[in-house]
Amino acid sequence: MSKLAKSYPMEIFVTCLALILIFANSDRAVLGISHAVNMYTNLFIVIVSIAFLSGLISEFLPPEVVKRIIGRESGFKGTLIGALFGALMIGPAYVFYPLFKDLVDKGASMRVIATTIGAWAVRLHAIPLAGAFLGYKFVLLFNLLIFIYSLFSGFVVGFFCERDES
Amino acid sequence: MSLRLGGFIFLLTLGFYILVFFRSKALFKRALLRGAKNLIRNSVRIFSVFVVIGILQSFLSKELVGGFLMHFSGIKGILIGALIGALMMGPVISGYPICKYILENGGAVGLVSSFLFSWVMVGLVALPLEIKTLGGRFALVRNSFAIFSAIVLGLIMEALL
Repeated sequence: MSKLAKSYPMEIFVTCLALILIFANSDRAVLGISHAVNMYTNLFIVIVSIAFLSGLISEFLPPEVVKRIIGRESGFKGTLIGALFGALMIGPAYVFYPLFKDLVDKGASMRVIATTIGAWAVRLHAIPLAGAFLGYKFVLLFNLLIFIYSLFSGFVVGFFCERDES
Repeated sequence: MSLRLGGFIFLLTLGFYILVFFRSKALFKRALLRGAKNLIRNSVRIFSVFVVIGILQSFLSKELVGGFLMHFSGIKGILIGALIGALMMGPVISGYPICKYILENGGAVGLVSSFLFSWVMVGLVALPLEIKTLGGRFALVRNSFAIFSAIVLGLIMEALL
C-alpha cells in the first residue's frame, strides 16, 4: 500500500480531488471526468502505440544506435532530428514522456529531448486552422520563433543537465 | 488529421513488431510484455492528467479567460499571458478562439503570443509526470526557460507585428 502511494502520489491526489468534487459539485465533476474519458479515447491509438514502441525500444534497440543518432555526440544533426520530430508530432507532449525516458535510459541526450519537447509547440498540421483564426502573418512568425526557441531550449537544458554526467 | 498521424505511428509500431516477430520470437514476447506493462502504467498516469485538465476546463470557460486577459496590455499583459498560459492545459486548438476573441477586442499581440506559447510549453498539470519520467532538474530547467522564453517571444511578436 505504501509502495503504491509512493509510485502514484499524483494519481492518488487526483482521485481524492475528483471524489471531493463529485460531492461538492457533481455536475462539473461529471463533465470533467467525461472530458478526460473523451481525451483518452481520442488519443488511445497514440497511447497504445507509444507504450508498445517503448517496450520494443527498451528490449531491442541497442544503446549504441540511440547514442549515435540522438546521443550527446550527435551534435547539431541530432538536435535537428529532434526538432523536426517534435514539429511533426501531434497530441500533448506528455503522452510521449515515458518514451523519452526510455530513450534517455538508452543514451539519448537531454539536449535532443528538450529540443523535441520545445518543437512540439510548432504545429505544422495546425497552421491552416490557426491561420484561419489568428491570421497567417501571426501564425507563421510565431511558429518560426518557436522553432528557434526549441534549439535554444535544447542547449540550455543540455548545459544544465548534462555537464556533470560525463 | 490527428487520427491519421496516430494511425501512422500505430502502423509503424505494428510493422516493427512484425519484423521482430520473424527475427526472434523470444524478443517479440519480451517486448510485448514490456509494452503491455507500459500501457497500464502510462494509462494511469496520463488519465489522471486528463482528469485534472477536464475539471479545470469545466471551470475555466473561454469567455472567462478571454475576458480576464483582455484587461491587460504591454509588458504586464505579456507576463500575465505567460502565467495564465502555464495553467491552461488540453489541446491548444481550443486556445485559438480565445485568442481570436482577445485580438478582435483590441487585445495585445504580445499577450496572445506569450499565452499561446506557455499554454503548449509549460504544463503545471503535467509537471509531476515530467519530473517522474525525465527528472526534477530537467523539468525545472526546461519549464523556467520556457516561461522566460514566453516573455521574450511576446516582446518580439509585439515589436514585429
